[in-house]
Amino acid sequence: MFEALLQQAEAAPALEPTAAAALAVGLAAFGAGYAERGIGAAAMGAIAEDDSLFVNGLILTVLPETLVILALVVVFLV
Amino acid sequence: MSTAGGSNPEYVTARVRARRSALYGDEEYRKLIRMGPAEIARFMEESDYEDEINALGSRHSGVDLIEYALNRNLAKQFDDLLRWADGRLYDLIARYLRKFDAWNVKTVIRGIYSEADRDAIADDLIRAGEFDEDLLDQLLDAPTIEDVVDRLSGTIFGNDLEDAYEDYEDTGVLVPLENAIDRTYYEHLLEGLVVDEATQQYREFLEAEIDFRNARNALRLAQSGADIDPADYYIDGGSLFTASELATLSQNRDELVTKIRESKYGDDLSAALDELESAESLINFERALDIALLEYTDALGHVFPLSITPIASYILAKEREVDNIRAIARGREAGLPEEQIEQELVIL
Repeated sequence: MFEALLQQAEAAPALEPTAAAALAVGLAAFGAGYAERGIGAAAMGAIAEDDSLFVNGLILTVLPETLVILALVVVFLV
Repeated sequence: MSTAGGSNPEYVTARVRARRSALYGDEEYRKLIRMGPAEIARFMEESDYEDEINALGSRHSGVDLIEYALNRNLAKQFDDLLRWADGRLYDLIARYLRKFDAWNVKTVIRGIYSEADRDAIADDLIRAGEFDEDLLDQLLDAPTIEDVVDRLSGTIFGNDLEDAYEDYEDTGVLVPLENAIDRTYYEHLLEGLVVDEATQQYREFLEAEIDFRNARNALRLAQSGADIDPADYYIDGGSLFTASELATLSQNRDELVTKIRESKYGDDLSAALDELESAESLINFERALDIALLEYTDALGHVFPLSITPIASYILAKEREVDNIRAIARGREAGLPEEQIEQELVIL
């Protein structure tokens, strides 16, 4: 009986590698979103005071996006 | 906006930092000191104060124009802060800005007491606090001091003012009312403040403000030698004095100075204290207190950039700017020499 259980467990792991990779990307995106929240709010404040900061604000706001791009590598590795 | 919702220090701090860098620096003050009132008004029109000078230019002129434009700009800047901030940040900013509510209530009461007309009182208000326009207009329309007290019954000033009004009726002087207003303000400053790592500094700043206020009151009492019970003027919440200590110290100026010198503010104030011991003048000492507080908050803003402290530092710097420009304009009008005006300024 125990053997049967063990066999079953081996046959179906709790998390497939692809599912784990998807989760990793999702978590990375969540982190990036959280980081962008603060930066975006600060950038909007700065732009409201001085229009010339628009480009700087935009660049700094999307910088955490690199987190997701790097995490995307995992998808191609599995 | 309100105390509901999350706090947004990122947004407010970014805007405040931009505003702060637009404040007048050494260079501008040097220019302003050499100008007459009309030139100062023109200089202000070319900088941040354009809207206010234009709006008031037709009704006022000279130093009055500068003064009212300064008040109005101050109110606008601080209203902006309250408009931007949400959640906990709003609460922290409002705590400090209620000082202007206190100022406005005092102005209205004094105005009614001295039978000034409504417009004259309205011009002197600084509409920067938590009270909205409606409430301030209601206060302005109030015919007697009793009505003012009535109309304030829903606010934080309500209870204390009602108690103080009885004293006022007995004595006929404004001191009990003004004392009640100040006391309410300072009591609410620290009340229920949730202290974590970042607000710890804010708390220290507020405590420093209370300590300095107590020190100032005590020195004034000691200086004037008036027979007033210092405990009446004691403000709770500071870390430097207790009520009984202050009462005994204000009898003896030397001991009071020693006490301040040995406190944690001693280093910042040592030069001012030396001067106080040698000269009899309080003015320089009070100026030194202002500078010490400004330096203190200036450093505050850098340790926890995403907290209340950079905003507190801006509020203080803006207030000093307004005081400085007013001092220059008034000084020039009175024909004081440039060096003397320069001495009056509080510049870092």
